[in-house]
Amino acid sequence: MEDGDDPFERLKNLPPRGHHAMLGIHHVDDGPDWAELACPFNPAFFIDRATELVSSGPVVSLIDAAAGAAIIARTRQWRPMATLDLRVDYLRPAHAGRPLHARATCYHMTHKVAFTRCDVHDGDPEDPIAFATASFFYTAES
Amino acid sequence: MIDATPYGRMLGMKVMVAAPGTAALMLPAGPALEGRPDFLYGGVIASLLEMACLALVAQELGDVRRRIKPINMSLDFLRGGLMADSYAEARIIRMGKHIANVDAVCWQDDREKPIASGRVHLLLG
Repeated sequence: MEDGDDPFERLKNLPPRGHHAMLGIHHVDDGPDWAELACPFNPAFFIDRATELVSSGPVVSLIDAAAGAAIIARTRQWRPMATLDLRVDYLRPAHAGRPLHARATCYHMTHKVAFTRCDVHDGDPEDPIAFATASFFYTAES
Repeated sequence: MIDATPYGRMLGMKVMVAAPGTAALMLPAGPALEGRPDFLYGGVIASLLEMACLALVAQELGDVRRRIKPINMSLDFLRGGLMADSYAEARIIRMGKHIANVDAVCWQDDREKPIASGRVHLLLG
């Protein structure tokens, strides 16, 4: 398959739009059933500038994006899908000034539903900031 | 207030008047909050729910020096969010000494048709 025909390759090279563009979410790496996305630190991510506490909002958005990308990495199909549910454990606060990385794996697929898990870190994968699971469903037949 | 935080301002959240013991936020839709075309980004809906929960606990504690940290969050997406004004209202399920359990619901034009619900555990510093 030519790169241009592969939905995942197309996704990787798409100019960011919407909320991905606002957060600066971009592709970092991928494998047969996983994708890693990242976004640069932005002072607008603070929920409290005085204590430099980073909001969990960008973390959740990045997880949602990485999980969706992992499903396309596994299926190599671009079908309309919606997030069904998402659960996040916040292991520690993110450090101010560091980019956020989310590596999601699509570990199981059925006809209608995709199951994912996701690790989030801010520079060191051995020192994660969050762990999440999310499931998605296809909103239309392929 | 939560709408004055850098992140609340980036998204454009506004604090609404709410009944005692609850907190409500409103988020106008905009192109920077879009996910798949014509739908509000799921992570944005998640953030709105979470911020409503944080706002309520901050309000109930009434002490700005106490730090509130999310431990975990569980979200259900019930309907696609359209590019329209979204509302989230939170209520406390249990306020302990160290942990608060809070849930929130998000809707758009019809409160009886929620687009998402969420539940968080917050650590009270």
